[in-house]
Order: sequence, then structure tokens, then C-alpha cells
Amino acid sequence: MIGCGIDAGSRAMKVVLMEAPARRVISTARADQRPDQARLADELLERALDIAGLGRKDIGRIVGTGYGRILIPSADTTVTEITCQARGVRDLVPDVRSIVDIGGQDSKVIFLDDQGVRDFAMNDRCAAGTGQYLEMTARRLDVSLPELGRLASSSRRPAAINSLCAVFAESEIISLLAMGAATEDIAAGVFRSVTLRVAALAGLKAGPPVVFTGGAALIPGMELFLAEALDRPLTTARDPQLTAARGAALIACDQGSIS
Amino acid sequence: MRVPETMNMENSPLAHFGRMIDHCYDYAEASKAEGRPIVGIMCEYTPREVILAAGAVPVCLCGGSLETIPAAESCLPANLCPLIKSTFGYHLRRDNPFLEWSDLVVAETTCDGKKKMFETMSETRPMHILELPQKADEPDALARWTQEVRKFKSALEGRFRVRIADGELRAAVLLMNRERDLRRRLADLMARDRPPLTGRQMLEFKSIISGIAADLEQYENAIRMFEEGAAAPGSPGDRGTVPPPVRVLMTGVPMVHGAERVIELVENCGAIVVAQESCTGLKPLLENIDADPPDLLQAIAAKYYHLPCSVMTVNERRLETLRYLSARFRPEAVIELVWHACLTYDIESRQVRRCVENDLHLPYLKIETDYSPSDSARLAVRVEALIETVRERASNDPDMRKARA
Repeated sequence: MIGCGIDAGSRAMKVVLMEAPARRVISTARADQRPDQARLADELLERALDIAGLGRKDIGRIVGTGYGRILIPSADTTVTEITCQARGVRDLVPDVRSIVDIGGQDSKVIFLDDQGVRDFAMNDRCAAGTGQYLEMTARRLDVSLPELGRLASSSRRPAAINSLCAVFAESEIISLLAMGAATEDIAAGVFRSVTLRVAALAGLKAGPPVVFTGGAALIPGMELFLAEALDRPLTTARDPQLTAARGAALIACDQGSIS
Repeated sequence: MRVPETMNMENSPLAHFGRMIDHCYDYAEASKAEGRPIVGIMCEYTPREVILAAGAVPVCLCGGSLETIPAAESCLPANLCPLIKSTFGYHLRRDNPFLEWSDLVVAETTCDGKKKMFETMSETRPMHILELPQKADEPDALARWTQEVRKFKSALEGRFRVRIADGELRAAVLLMNRERDLRRRLADLMARDRPPLTGRQMLEFKSIISGIAADLEQYENAIRMFEEGAAAPGSPGDRGTVPPPVRVLMTGVPMVHGAERVIELVENCGAIVVAQESCTGLKPLLENIDADPPDLLQAIAAKYYHLPCSVMTVNERRLETLRYLSARFRPEAVIELVWHACLTYDIESRQVRRCVENDLHLPYLKIETDYSPSDSARLAVRVEALIETVRERASNDPDMRKARA
């Protein structure tokens, strides 16, 4: 039996196919989100099946997760990204106690104990502290996200960016540019502001081991900024953008094995 | 087990309270025509008994509409709680008939937002402000509050040219005690393993005007029908759903008429709200007034002074209430609702979380939002994740599995 997890995030769609008995990932696919996400989910599923040399009939169960989870018609059931993220990360780091996830429009901190999710915190109606904010900054500075990461890491004097709102922060960046601030200092200021927002969600409760996930975890330098903001060491998950889809695939395998 | 009979919706008590605003409109209009004054109130601290004893009709004016908020923001700061803004929006737009009929508006010095909003409203409307002492356990605080209630009685006597005798006060106390008893008995039905109502339906059983005979009769009908085995459509008692919804205790700010989005969202995610601690739930119903005390006004004042609102410091009574409600209604999780920019509830949520996690040993989720539905999908993720967490942990724990079976 093959279990399939589809994570319809706000910025990217991710698919993970998993072999049920071994709980082994056999193929993955990802693509940027677009308006017709039901079709996108199907295309990605086909792509993942092609890679694995399998057909649709081989899939026993599909679990949808992520912000767009209710808009995936092929999913047999849906589970929130919090439960899926926790499941996927525990599979990789069994004794994980805190997960920090920075995605496209959400950032969240999940606290775990031996039984799984114990508590969680998410950002409110606001893009500060999310991937959107980083993308906006990259656009303003006319660099790619990986370049933004490298710039931020090279700064010696991060600019102070105080706005609690991504829209106001954009104005702040424009002012900083107008005053001749170095792009690396602006980038570092933004990284610091994003990671401090996320650290505020975690409060003082993020016990070790801390694992970093989400699309933002792919950006070079982000891990160091986050560790500094949280004031504790952390590790970035393997394939950090795929962990929620992995968790969904694991749940699909569990559910498929029962029925 | 006997299969419960689904409540007929056409003439049911639930349908009666579904038309609550219309009934109150007719009642207030008729009362006005009879010469009874209308007194607008905006907080549970207002002693309704004194207003009733003056022959007046107390009407709750708390705004639950998103529509009136833009008007309010032309005058008040945008970063203010939606309840205050909505109420004030009606004031500016002059489109709440109950406020327009009000011969007097009564308010208290509770939170700063309300206090200053009342002050602004009083520029154009007759208003009486009761000063609420805010140290809940200060020995002389009750005496001070009783004095405020006495001054309020004199103010009503002067304004409406009536004398409020102890006989009228006692009658009002008995009437309000009866209403509180009935509403508490209804709320108690939610303690069942399979409650005969949803939390959203329970929230319907209230009125912005207290003491209307027809309402009291319908509360009684409802209790009788539910005790005889009826269940409201969609309730756990009606559906016998497997698995049963997760039992949730809601605490925090009130969900006034029109502002029920969050409880609907919570119950759509697989929960049943078995108890509501807020001012639109059980908080005002848990204590009655002694009808034969040496000093009636003091007895009235004491009941109201005991309300555990977050404006009080230290508000230990709220935590006691939560412990009591948790033992009585057996929730599996606690969800706290905080209206955006409600500073006192927001800050106090820290103590509530601590009480829920350390004393009740339950998962806790805080929802901070306003009247706009724009964040509903995001809030649903949190509530669903909470429900998943409760279910997953229950399935890992054999004792809890048995309790949920």
C-alpha cells in the first residue's frame, strides 16, 4: 500500500509518496502554488507517481493538509498542518520537543512531549514573521531569496527594523534604502526582525531539541538568525519544506493499514 | 437507551429565542407606550433588579455587529475592542431602536475603553455611571459599591419620579432569581454525556431584556422538553454521533447577539461547547440574591460585585469559577476568546492558561480576533489542531479512551 500526503501551503504545494509497511519515502514533488490548486495537486501527484514508476491505483489513501487542504478533491481526508508537521518531524527526530516552522503566510511553534503535540502557537492576522515578508524584502532589494540569505549573513551591523507589520516594514526598508543603508544590513535587519517575531511566539518554552522546518528553512543563514533569536541551538529538518507532507503521508499509511 | 425525540423547530423554545430581538422590540415598544421608561445597560455589573423595581425596562445595548464599526472608527481609535466600537457605532448611526428609546443609559467604570466611550456617549445621551471598585477582595470595596448602588437607586427615583420600596426590590430580586435559576438549569443540561443542545443553541437561550414573562415560560418549556428526552437538531443528544464531539469549555469575552462567529467555528471543527464562562454564558447566573436579607440593596450589590470580570485585580474568583465549571461539565479542552484590544482579558489569559494547564490538566487555546470573519480559516486550523491533539492523546491513554467511549 502506498500512502500519499499532499500539503497545500500558501506558497507551495508538496506531495510525498510513502510505502506503507516500511514507512519509506519513495518519491516527492513540489511546485509553487497557483489559483487552480486542485489541478496542481493532481499534476504533482502524477509527477510523483511517474518518478516512482507507479499508477494511481497503487495509492491506498491520500491525506490533505496545509492551508488549502479542503480544496484537494483527491484527498480522502484532511488533517491540520500542525498535527502533520509534528508527525513528520517526529519521524525524523523522534525526541523532538519544539518545532519552529516558518512558511509562506504562517509561522508556528509546536511544543511536543512523549505523546506528541502538547501545545502550539501561531502568528495572527499579520505577515510579519513569515515567508511573505522575506519575499517582499528580496523583491525590494532586487535579489533572490538565497542571495538575500547570503547578504544577511555577511552583515556586520544589522539595520533596526521595528515595524510589527510587514506593510509598514516595507516603508521602513524604502526609507533605509533612501538613507543609503547597505543592502546586507537591511537584509540582516529583516532576518532579525522575522526571527524575533517567531521567538516571541515560542516564548521561553521552546525546550530542546528544537527543529526548524518550512520553506524559510531553505534560505541560507536563516537557521543561525533563528538560533540567535531563540537563544538556543537548533537543527534544520532534512527536506524542511516537505515535513508536513511527510507527516500527512505517514498518517495516510496508518489509516490505510487499519481499513 | 431511549432514542431522543428531535425538537420540532416551528414552535419550539429554541425557535422562540431565535426571534428574541423581534420579541424584545415588541415588548419595549409596548412598554414605552405604557409609559414605562427604557434603561439601556451595557455591562453585567448593572444591577437590573434596581431598574426593574423602578418600573423601568432594562435593555442590553452591547453591539455585536461588524457593520457599525466603521462609523465608530471615525471617532474612536481603530485599535479598540469590537464590542465597544460596535456599540458606539450604533450610537453614532442612531440605528439601534433600543438605544434610541432609552430614557437613560447606565454604565460602569470597568475597562478604560468602555469608560471613555461612555464619557463620549454621555455628551448627547442621559447617562448614569456607577463607579466600580476594582480590588475584588478589598474589605471596604463592597461598602463602596453598595453606596454606588444606593446612589443609583436615588438617581432612578429622581429621574423617573418613583419611590423604590423594599417590596418592589424584593419582587425584582425574586423575578431575576427565577430567571437565573431557569437559565442555569438549562445550561446544566450540557453536563450530560450527550448534551441535548449544541453550545451555539445554548447561546440562543437569552434575552436582551430580562424578566419578560413569555421568555420565562419558554425557558420552563425548554427544560421540561429536554428533561423528557427531547434533543435539539444537530446536538450530540440528537445525532448520537460516533465519535462524540470533543467537550470544550469556553472562557473570556462575551459573544453578544450577532457576534457568535467563534462559537460556530469551534463547533464546526468537531467540538461541543459544554460550558461558557463568559458574561453571555454562566458567569452572571452562578450566584443568586438573598431575597430576605437585613439590607436588600447591599445583598443586590454583593451579587454583582462578585462577578469575576478581568477588570478586577486580583481576579481569583474567575479561576475558581473555571475550576468549578470544569468539574461540573468535564471539558477536554479550554478555549479562551479575547476580543482584539481587550487588554484586561488578554493579559489575564496568562493566569487562565496557567490554571487550565496546571490545575485542570487540560489543553488550552487562546483565540484573539474581532468581529471580522477574515481570519476564520486560520482560526479553524488552530481549533482543528486542538481537537486532533485531544483525540490523539486520548487514543494514547487507555483511561481517556474509556472515558471518551
